Amino acid sequence: MEPLKKLLAGLLWLWMSAVIAGAFLYAPLARGFIGQSSRILFFHVPMAWVSFVAFIAAGIWSLRFLYGGRQPRHDRAAAAAVELGLTFGVLATVTGALWARVMWGAYWNWDPRQTSIVVALLFYGAYLALRSSLEDRDQRARLSAAYAVLGLVVAPFLFFIMPRIMFSLHPQSVINAQGKVEMEPRMVQVLLAGSAGATALFFWIHNLQCRLAALLERNSAPLE
Amino acid sequence: MWRDASTWAAEALAVFAKEWRCEFRTRYALNTLGLFAFTTLVVVSVSLGPVGVSTSRGTAVLPVLLWVILLFSAAAGLPRAFVQEEETQTATALRLAATPSALFCGKLLYGLTLTFALEILVTPVFVAMTSLDVKSPGLLAAVLAAGGFGLAAGSTLVAAIIAQARSKGTLFSVMAFPVLLPLLLIAVELSRGAVAGDPAGVALLQLLLYDASVTVAGFMLFPVVWNP
Amino acid sequence: MPAPRLRFANVRRRFGRLAVLNGVSGAVGPGEMLLVTGPNGSGKSTLLRCLAGLLAPDAGTIEYREDEGDPAVDAASRRKLAGTVSPDLAFYAELSVAENLAFFARLRRTPPDRGLAVLDRLGLPLDRPAGALSSGMRQRLRWAWALLHAPRLLLLDEPFQNFDAPGERAARELLAEHLAAGGLAVVANPSTLEFADVAGRLDLGR
Repeated sequence: MEPLKKLLAGLLWLWMSAVIAGAFLYAPLARGFIGQSSRILFFHVPMAWVSFVAFIAAGIWSLRFLYGGRQPRHDRAAAAAVELGLTFGVLATVTGALWARVMWGAYWNWDPRQTSIVVALLFYGAYLALRSSLEDRDQRARLSAAYAVLGLVVAPFLFFIMPRIMFSLHPQSVINAQGKVEMEPRMVQVLLAGSAGATALFFWIHNLQCRLAALLERNSAPLE
Repeated sequence: MWRDASTWAAEALAVFAKEWRCEFRTRYALNTLGLFAFTTLVVVSVSLGPVGVSTSRGTAVLPVLLWVILLFSAAAGLPRAFVQEEETQTATALRLAATPSALFCGKLLYGLTLTFALEILVTPVFVAMTSLDVKSPGLLAAVLAAGGFGLAAGSTLVAAIIAQARSKGTLFSVMAFPVLLPLLLIAVELSRGAVAGDPAGVALLQLLLYDASVTVAGFMLFPVVWNP
Repeated sequence: MPAPRLRFANVRRRFGRLAVLNGVSGAVGPGEMLLVTGPNGSGKSTLLRCLAGLLAPDAGTIEYREDEGDPAVDAASRRKLAGTVSPDLAFYAELSVAENLAFFARLRRTPPDRGLAVLDRLGLPLDRPAGALSSGMRQRLRWAWALLHAPRLLLLDEPFQNFDAPGERAARELLAEHLAAGGLAVVANPSTLEFADVAGRLDLGR
């Protein structure tokens, strides 16, 4: 691995270690939460954020594929984003469910945020199911890209409009607050740092995933 | 340019007419939708009608069930528009002869009329069989129209995507559900409000916005989906 | 008189790991017919589908011009402009022959007269449902469909499949008239059929 990449990977490693340490040692406990359970926040929120980023990224790469010359690397990038989005999304859902159990006594309430993340997971699953049912490379890329773009169109309704309509049990989140941050500064710092680190982590793994896919693609070159 | 526009519309209408002409000869979609809707209607109204559950609980639950019936009936009947073209291999002739946007428009119109016909048949019977007291029937009609539109538009586009894949049946439900869920949840909330007599509010506008977004997306994405 | 031209160079197409077309080239001028031969699986149908715009080649160029000096049209236009006969062309079983032609004529924004005239020559009952046609009669409908919009380019994949002797004779006449009027034709065929006046041959056999 090139020295610059090694340096960046090392920095990311340090950053995430600091975030994890900060989550347990630096940030205070949130008011209104039982025991140490508010610590889950620092893991749940970044992963949910990354899942959201992945959704948008997959949509954008799909657009670039469709309208930017049908380059296979854009298709690979979109598929990798969906796979990672699914992984982070599942983790976010599980951590969210654990927290819900501690806070409200039930793992699942179908409050709008929970609904949104589940529907996002369904999207990811459907995208991957579609891909696995198409053999022809071009058809697979084209059709899954179209579906990802459709997902992008529906995303605002999923993540923003629908939650506002329904009653919410979810505590006010930093992202949604109208500029007013209702959390202690140190918590906000750890949250933002965690989200930034998780985003970097996403793009790093994504890059690896794309390069791997490209190598596999090259290895399945046509038989003469 | 005017002449071009009118012949594009003529193409779309030709597709629409062909869909209904074939449908009337086989009655396949009408039978499937009709049977499905009727069966679920009977189950719902018997178990949750005035004899089955208290009125207040019924008011909360019944609008949901109405939309569930509509959703699954649509899933049973709408994908055929594209799946059958691929299965009977008439898709090749269509790809060579039709303008994609006109083709999509014709299929969309067919899906819309099918969905609206379904709603017009199901809703009054549903309301009657469950003795549902709808305080704002006008609002309910508006929600059904807007929701039905989105249902048809989303289903038609997803149908076009899955028509070229294997295992189309399960794939359609798996792919359409996430796309349609925001529509359904908003429509159910609005329907509950219509039954209770609440004013519409901004949610109806958001429903219309959803319809517009999905329709525009459909027209833009269909050529990519349909042709290599 | 318009002088259409078709040129394709280095067309490649693979399915999965199988390279079906390996850099195929050819050219057809006005009034000319290109005969594509080769055993089963050699890529004849694949080539014709690429030319028709139904498949995008992995590499290579396909240029079709309706007239000398025109720019080459894109795949979407090629789809609409060419007349195609191929074994996987099917029509709506619930509609009659005439209704099928009328529908496609409306799509092609042309009156159905030409198609009906071809059917008259080939012989096909107009009110028979397309689902009740024998394979030979289906082939006649395919020819009528292909010539509906008076295309200058004909792409014929196994054009005389299932024809009886009169049907084949009539179709050969139609092809000859098309070429005489300055049209182009690319015909894919197993090697057994003979044609007069073949301007070019392309053998995809290995």
